Amino acid sequence: MTFTLDKFLKFLPAAMFAMVCEFLMNLVDSAVCGHVLGEDALAAVNLMQPVLCLVEFLALLVGTGTSVLFAVESGRFDRRRASEYLTQGLWSALMVGGAALVALAVFREKAAEAFGVHGAVLEGVKEYWLWFLPCVVVEPVAFYLSCVCYADGDEKICILAYAVQLAANFAVSCALTMRLGIAGCAIGTAVGHILAISVLAFHFRKKTNSLRFAKHFSFADTLRICKCSMGEASSRLAQAALMLALNLYIVSRLGAEMLPVLAVVVAVLELAAVFDGVPRAMQPLASVYIGEKNDRLAMRILRYATAGSLATGILATVLLAVFPQIATAIVGMGDSALAAEAHKAVRIVSAGLAGTAVVALFNMYWTCLGKETLALALTAGAMLFAPLLLFPALGEMFGANGVWMAMALAPYAALGATAAFIAVKWGRKALPHFLSSERARKMRVYDTIVDEAAVCALSRKINRFLAVRRNLGGRKASIAALLAEETLLLVKDHNPGRRIRAEVTLDFSAKDTLYVTIRDDGEIFDITDADAKVSSLRSYLVSNLMENLPGRRNLTTTGFNRNAFKL
Amino acid sequence: MKVEAKQEGSKLTLSVSGRIDTVTAPAFEAELKFGDATQVVLDLAEVPYMSSAGLRLLLTAHKTMLASGGELLIANVQPSVREVLDITGFSGILNLV
Repeated sequence: MTFTLDKFLKFLPAAMFAMVCEFLMNLVDSAVCGHVLGEDALAAVNLMQPVLCLVEFLALLVGTGTSVLFAVESGRFDRRRASEYLTQGLWSALMVGGAALVALAVFREKAAEAFGVHGAVLEGVKEYWLWFLPCVVVEPVAFYLSCVCYADGDEKICILAYAVQLAANFAVSCALTMRLGIAGCAIGTAVGHILAISVLAFHFRKKTNSLRFAKHFSFADTLRICKCSMGEASSRLAQAALMLALNLYIVSRLGAEMLPVLAVVVAVLELAAVFDGVPRAMQPLASVYIGEKNDRLAMRILRYATAGSLATGILATVLLAVFPQIATAIVGMGDSALAAEAHKAVRIVSAGLAGTAVVALFNMYWTCLGKETLALALTAGAMLFAPLLLFPALGEMFGANGVWMAMALAPYAALGATAAFIAVKWGRKALPHFLSSERARKMRVYDTIVDEAAVCALSRKINRFLAVRRNLGGRKASIAALLAEETLLLVKDHNPGRRIRAEVTLDFSAKDTLYVTIRDDGEIFDITDADAKVSSLRSYLVSNLMENLPGRRNLTTTGFNRNAFKL
Repeated sequence: MKVEAKQEGSKLTLSVSGRIDTVTAPAFEAELKFGDATQVVLDLAEVPYMSSAGLRLLLTAHKTMLASGGELLIANVQPSVREVLDITGFSGILNLV
């Protein structure tokens, strides 16, 4: 088990849980309104979906970019820029939320009437919309906070916040909808977001918190944040546009009776958003490794995440192929003939889920790498353009089955087209990670448990490798080995009784300079502080060692200690 | 890590070879027996690496010898170990020859 895999697996359950919660959050209002108030209220809530998508898009537009840029700057040891992005992210969340609030409040009446509905449904839309307005501001802030807390390594508080948000939304919606009608659902959503913010705020009181706000405001940084988020955020808009096109095609070519089957397919596609959990688990680690130009570890985390994405995608395909009833149960399909049609559709569409998972992964990875346009092109290709090209053609040839086949093929077609584009523009060597294998070969990574025997064995390995294989001479080899032994055993002294993992990177890609980066997941403390309290001969040696190493840096990143030394 | 002892009257020479780190330090400590020697020479020519665990033993041995009226001489220190002694200021405390 490597340090990177250990951290990835630590982030993964939280990220998957978050995505499941987001999926369920989208269902709460429909489920409560449908069961408590009936079909008119359900129709009103469903008509609000484009507005809900828009607010989700705004939240993603700010949250994703902030966490990526914050982690990349932290990876570069640029604490000031990291804090500036953190601060600007909050301003941006408030600005986009505020602007959307004004726009949605001003155009509420006219836009609701533009849906073309009347009577109880129209009244329902207007009322829901009115009470939903606070969510327009609090949702981007809640999502921003969960992203930055997650990037700071506090996955536990994110899990708690999502759980509280979901439970509060459900409980308040149930309780208030019976008394206040459809407004109760909207109030439940707002209360959920506000409670999530309250829970996430506790992160800032923790000792492990490394999020520091700065006196900073810059529109240029807001644009950078939005640009960085476009790949992921646009997936919501692409999905909304595709749904609109599919609705129109199915009604005109296959008949409105096929719309419930499409609703089941949509549920499967929305369920696929859970796959975003893998890239979200990868993102904080990948951003840091990319920021510090650690190509070897960036490749490693991408390898783990690719395996994770493929595994979840294939698992979902198998699960839905064997039990397509899961999807029909979500939308409560009762008609057996339609259900049989829907089961066939689910089996066909599920074949594309592994591709969808890989698309989500590379969307995030290329965003972390600063290739936002490529990420955006891949997402738009997989979720909009490839299906738009494929489903009319295959639909004409195979009817409804052709439409579902198009949905399954689209992610693979987009991945293939993007890979071909990369190969033509940047060469095959760039595929898929854009990192230099040559540079990665000039790095060596060691993983260890922090105990005396393992650390001394590691120190011996480093000494031998540098002195014999890299011919770096006695001094540098010896100091690097000493750094590993003394700093890691000092970490052990700071964490009595705990099992600590550590990772040491030797970067000998620069001529005449050796960079040593040491990470550990123990108690947060700055080992590079030459003025730190001396309580043992070891801490005395480390303190003196630090005074003699001017090129040393420390930055807590994604919840673990990170120390870099230049020899 | 190995230690070879050579006694010449009241002079004891301990020739050490190998790394002295946290794991090997207890074995080194077990070999640091001076008997009635009044002059102990620690020959570190074959010691390429020493961590704080080794430094602690050097300091303890130095103090033991001083207390018994003898002296501890550290000989043939390799540059990589010398740097550690310089960084910690131990080269000013110990008798390096």
